Amino acid sequence: MRIGLGFELDSGDDAHEAWHAVLGEIQRADALGYDSVWLEEGREAGASCPAPTLVLTHAACKTKSIQLRPAARRVDRTHPVRLAEEIAVLDMFSRGRAGVAFASAHRQGVPPQQLHETIDFVRAAWAGDALRFRGEFVRFPSHTPDEAPVGVSHPAAEGELVPQWDWGGVMPDFLAVTPKPYASRPPTYVEIADDATLEWAARHGISPLVTAKVPTAEAVERFSRYWRIAAEAGRSSAEVEAVLARRIALDGEGNEYALGGSATDLATSISALRAASAISHLVWVRDAGDEGQLLQFASEVQPVLQA
Amino acid sequence: MEFWTGGGMAKNRLMPNALANTYDSYVRGAEQAEKLGFDGFSASEHHFMYDAFQPFPLQALAAAAAVTSKIRLVTGVMLLTLYDPLEAAEYVATVDVLSGGRLTLGLGMGYRPMEFDGLSLAKKTRGARLTEGIEILRLATSQETFSYEGKHYRYKDTGLRLGSVQKPVDLWFGSGPSIHGARRAGSRGFSYWLANTPFENAKTNVEAYRAAGREAGWPEESLRFAVFKDLCIGRTLAEAEERREYALKSFYDEHILGYGYLVDENGNHLYNPSRDHPIYQRFVNSLFCGTAEMVIEEIKRYEDLGAEAMSVSTIQREVFVNEVMPAFR
Repeated sequence: MRIGLGFELDSGDDAHEAWHAVLGEIQRADALGYDSVWLEEGREAGASCPAPTLVLTHAACKTKSIQLRPAARRVDRTHPVRLAEEIAVLDMFSRGRAGVAFASAHRQGVPPQQLHETIDFVRAAWAGDALRFRGEFVRFPSHTPDEAPVGVSHPAAEGELVPQWDWGGVMPDFLAVTPKPYASRPPTYVEIADDATLEWAARHGISPLVTAKVPTAEAVERFSRYWRIAAEAGRSSAEVEAVLARRIALDGEGNEYALGGSATDLATSISALRAASAISHLVWVRDAGDEGQLLQFASEVQPVLQA
Repeated sequence: MEFWTGGGMAKNRLMPNALANTYDSYVRGAEQAEKLGFDGFSASEHHFMYDAFQPFPLQALAAAAAVTSKIRLVTGVMLLTLYDPLEAAEYVATVDVLSGGRLTLGLGMGYRPMEFDGLSLAKKTRGARLTEGIEILRLATSQETFSYEGKHYRYKDTGLRLGSVQKPVDLWFGSGPSIHGARRAGSRGFSYWLANTPFENAKTNVEAYRAAGREAGWPEESLRFAVFKDLCIGRTLAEAEERREYALKSFYDEHILGYGYLVDENGNHLYNPSRDHPIYQRFVNSLFCGTAEMVIEEIKRYEDLGAEAMSVSTIQREVFVNEVMPAFR
């Protein structure tokens, strides 16, 4: 079981103070052996982070091991090319520690198809060289004609090789998005908040994520459905990583959204959740600041989970 | 005068290296530049490049901010016309907060057709969109809410929740060597950052910039200018010219000749002109060659002209620091 930290930054007005507290916590988590940090895109408060990839690129240069995950990343504000580029660049600066979790279509107010096409495009851009993509919402390059095949396509291997610097002003029908990520395929997650995306993610091998705003019982049910559809589609569970985000009250009371109790109680309930929903990554959503809890969880809960 | 330098993240075929190593070098280069006494460290932007050129300068500067504390972090240049201005403003405010207010933005319009097509944007409107984009960045990083009514961008009662440290962020209109850019920057009261060009052309442009600024009513002290200047330093002029030849072969020839950077007197982009084409030759001559003493004399001409900053090439960073910079400190 991998354990990560999640930060929402949806309150407070002082970005400088809030971000530096989070950056300090990421460095401590890196030293304590936490596996990942998930920083949500947001615009609700003055301290919200509209560009989590930039903040995590900054964090990449202050850490060694921790995986870096811009989370709740929207597809409606940023060109799909730029989404592919920014994660690839984060992957370069962090030497393969980047991944990305996309917000649900509902949270963004976009049709699920737009989210799915964008994720398809981003993964295709990372995976191959020159490509063309024609969808309802994504066209790349933008002059791609209507009669081009739907989805991703690649140029035929024929004709003379012309170096890019000799193309002149001619607009190419296929382009490579560069740089490629350091790792061949950065982990990609999507919130399985609606039926269309849950089914699409299960069928396409996209890792599922359930946020801390969903009750635990409902999260377990969503993961069950995801795994059933994935199995029907012939996918292997080894392709993906199921991620559950929860608030945690160490030595406190849990509720339908949060896990609580002693270190032993927490290890027990997390193990039960793992058995019930086959999650392999738990993200502890928290506010930066309680260093003692961070240490306590790392020394008392994490070893039990990994034993 | 301030001195800025920078680093590149790309695969250079004359200097084969793992791409990720160039990212490590960039971060180390930022640390080193601060220690050596440079005032600014930059990153630039290109997309879809065969050499995997780094596409997001603000992201590179977010990395540089993590290992530095004083040096200004400079986009040199960021192709603002390839962004939605408000989205760009969010990125700008983010890096300004991460760096504690050390961000300087050199903003250019771009010229490579595939970059506009790949990012679903019109190339022909880039001049006007750059001007509007800079005005929007100025508003977005200085006012809580603002409205803007341009030809290409319109916003009503909008604003960033995330406030930048600088209000507004330090903004420069980055321009090629044409006089049109100089006049556009001056008439809008933008600070003006001029691309590599021989001194006499730079002088003409700066005079045109100041004249346009005065005519538009901008105060003299707000009309700042900076220059890009590749400096090839040798123990002899011949050695310096060899270094220029290397810079041309290893980078500039492919980037300057192949993608339409050079523009003729009618405003047409030149794709792969011959190497004896006068406009290419003017570019070659803009890469100044000389001994350290000759380079000092050349820089003093810009200082006398009133340049606020000079962005110098990276290849001979230590030679520059040891043999040239002391004359200006």
